Amino acid sequence: MGFEDTALLSRILTLMTLSFHILYATVGVGIPLMIMIAQWVGIKKNDEHYILLARRWARGFVITVAVGVVTGTAIGLQLSLLWPEFMQLAGNVIALPLFMEVFAFFFEAIFLGIYLYTWDRFEDQRKHLLILIPVALGAAASSLFITIVNAFMNSPQGFEILNGEFVNVQPLLAIFNPAVPTKVAHVMSTAFMTSAFVLASIAALRMIGGSDHVYHKKALFLTMKIGLIFSIATAIIGDFSGKYLAEYQPEKLAAAEWHFETEGDAGLILFGVLDGQEPKYAIKIPYALSILAHGTPGAEVIGLNEFPEDERPPLWIHYLFDTMVGIGMWLAFFSMVYVVGAWRGWAIVRAKWFRWLLLATGPLALVAIEAGWWFTEVGRQPWILRGYMKTADAATTSGQVDLMIILFAGLYIILGIGTVVVLTRMYKRNPVEKELADREAKKGGVQE
Amino acid sequence: MTLEIIGISVLWLFLFLYVIVASIDFGAGFFNAYSAFTNKQHILTGIIQRYLSPVWEVTNVFFVFFFVGVIGFFPQTAFYYGTTLLVPASIALILLSIRGSYYAFATYGAKINHRGYIYMYGLSGLLLPASLSPVLAMSEGGFIKMDGDSPYLDYLALFTSPLTWSIVVLSLAAVLYISAVFLTWYASKAGDAKATHLMRKYALLWAGPTIITATGIIFELRSHNAEHYSRLLDLWWIFGLSFLLFLGTVYLLWKRRNYGWAFILLVGQFFTAFFAYGVSHYPYLLYPYLTIYDSFTNEAMAISLIIAFIAGLGLLLPSLYLLFRLFLFDKDYVKGKSDYHA
Amino acid sequence: MQDFLIFYAPFIVLVSAIIGAFWISLKDGIVTNDKK
Repeated sequence: MGFEDTALLSRILTLMTLSFHILYATVGVGIPLMIMIAQWVGIKKNDEHYILLARRWARGFVITVAVGVVTGTAIGLQLSLLWPEFMQLAGNVIALPLFMEVFAFFFEAIFLGIYLYTWDRFEDQRKHLLILIPVALGAAASSLFITIVNAFMNSPQGFEILNGEFVNVQPLLAIFNPAVPTKVAHVMSTAFMTSAFVLASIAALRMIGGSDHVYHKKALFLTMKIGLIFSIATAIIGDFSGKYLAEYQPEKLAAAEWHFETEGDAGLILFGVLDGQEPKYAIKIPYALSILAHGTPGAEVIGLNEFPEDERPPLWIHYLFDTMVGIGMWLAFFSMVYVVGAWRGWAIVRAKWFRWLLLATGPLALVAIEAGWWFTEVGRQPWILRGYMKTADAATTSGQVDLMIILFAGLYIILGIGTVVVLTRMYKRNPVEKELADREAKKGGVQE
Repeated sequence: MTLEIIGISVLWLFLFLYVIVASIDFGAGFFNAYSAFTNKQHILTGIIQRYLSPVWEVTNVFFVFFFVGVIGFFPQTAFYYGTTLLVPASIALILLSIRGSYYAFATYGAKINHRGYIYMYGLSGLLLPASLSPVLAMSEGGFIKMDGDSPYLDYLALFTSPLTWSIVVLSLAAVLYISAVFLTWYASKAGDAKATHLMRKYALLWAGPTIITATGIIFELRSHNAEHYSRLLDLWWIFGLSFLLFLGTVYLLWKRRNYGWAFILLVGQFFTAFFAYGVSHYPYLLYPYLTIYDSFTNEAMAISLIIAFIAGLGLLLPSLYLLFRLFLFDKDYVKGKSDYHA
Repeated sequence: MQDFLIFYAPFIVLVSAIIGAFWISLKDGIVTNDKK
């Protein structure tokens, strides 16, 4: 088997694992904050509904965390199995955040276990809420550390290579690389946004299913408000990310925007097809690319032709970029309409068709997450460590990768179906109306 | 003490902790499946759900910690072990997924207690040590070979070697033994006489095979890796101590008393043996290619990892204590009197 | 300016958004106001 082949197969397997893992990782980072907000609102307003909301979310959350742990372990090991050359190099320079990520997750797992198994154990809800803080912090910290590793792959620094040896390694400098702030903020903000919309979709689903309980309305309104805030934050941070790219990875931005010649007054191209180096049938927003890259309409944006052909990212990442941005914009706009409408009492927010749009927000946000990660990963090609190591040179020489692809594909299919089946079954068996009634009955009777 | 030794000691300690907590987890799953098979399910299921469900993610993290730490301290291992372990490690991952999803789907979630699932979960507990433990055999050398610049694993040599199979058998026996001793203690704390009786029986049953295969491996090393064998013999007194601790556990189990102490002695037994084995393996990570010295990371990284490790431990130990106080040492919880699951 | 936007502003926006999310969560609308 040829060398190129294992690199391609390794990429396919990594893509599969990451694409699957990222769904769980994203909600894994975002949902603790949602639970926290709901429980906090419940305590503040002394409203049983929000407390129950937090509790029911927590129940579903454990299941996604458990699958996330499994797929996270898989990607952790696969990095060494599929990219041994890269990990050998990375181990020397960027091992510190990888190591700390495990600690952060450890911390989260411990407190998640405690949080879940101590509902109603405390007289005071506020004490129970306190346990959630380390869960949310641990989740945020693990996303911080693992994103740092990914940021390092995009803008490596903190070491020198002398005759193939690493000299002058500065682990902290490697950690604080220029890609970190925009990437970390973007990852976290989208995680919160996506989690909010996924939870909103669930509430919308129940309302479409005919339930008219105020519990679902509260859930929907709460999550859409949070979704609005974070979709706006995401858009702003996304703009900063454009500025980071223009400064440090101009080829990625240029490829995403089909921007070939270095020039000022650059327009932003949406969709279209490419004919040679000429975009056709595209929507062009004048000056927008210059603004995205440097903040002024006349600013010069570096074009793709400045880079040697074998160091250019594939041009189809344009569509990934458009998908991500398009969905992000739609979600910000739509959640704005809903929130204002719900606040002012517009009739359309109660319309049936509007609920279907609400239902779509969660899945759309997940699609945007996938598109965004594909964009950033494919957009880094041909490098695995930009400027230092190409992806093709980092792959394993083992000949069994193809078999592993089949094995893991089967696993992810089973885990994916399992998650959906178990979650729906769990909530169907114990609908909120029934649980609220049970709790009322319990309270009315003799205290336990 | 050099940085290399601090690094490997930390990792070895974590591997040891993983061996203990994972053995409890793996073995419990197997006993659970076995009792389902013989229709005694109710005896163990409750205990397994009360103890294992809250802590399995923590168990898993010990494993992740070990392999991430190895890459951090000894990046070159990624090259040798990463390339050669693709298949065995992937199989182990699949098995781990079966276990993880069992907790997720069957105990947290919709309580799917399909028999097939229980059997798969139980069986994965046996297959996992069987798929992970051959790595120890590989590290003795002779199975990982070089094809020019790239290492490959000689499966035929590995699977026809008596050393591999003894290590596999030892891992299975040890998993069942460790787990049974722990569960004897846990069941007796929970005041469940039936389960205590059953687990004590299993513990005594697996004590013999554990010690016999462990001794057998030492002698097989003589022909496989003479250098390691002679270093092992230099440490004979530690193995002797380990054997005494083993006798202590068996004695207490036999006399039906102090199950807590029996478990502590068992941890001591495995601790001494595990470290004596580790020390005698020094300085090799992989005979004869890789030692802890030539695969070590740079000094700056090593120091920062050690600092991160100490800081992390300062955070984790109190949290772990809290976790165990709630789920292991809380009488009401252990007895199943209080259930506050979300 | 460019450096400020790349290095510091992302975190400022993120933290403000988290605070904002808590703040907005307490605000009621007609949907949640009408009946208890």
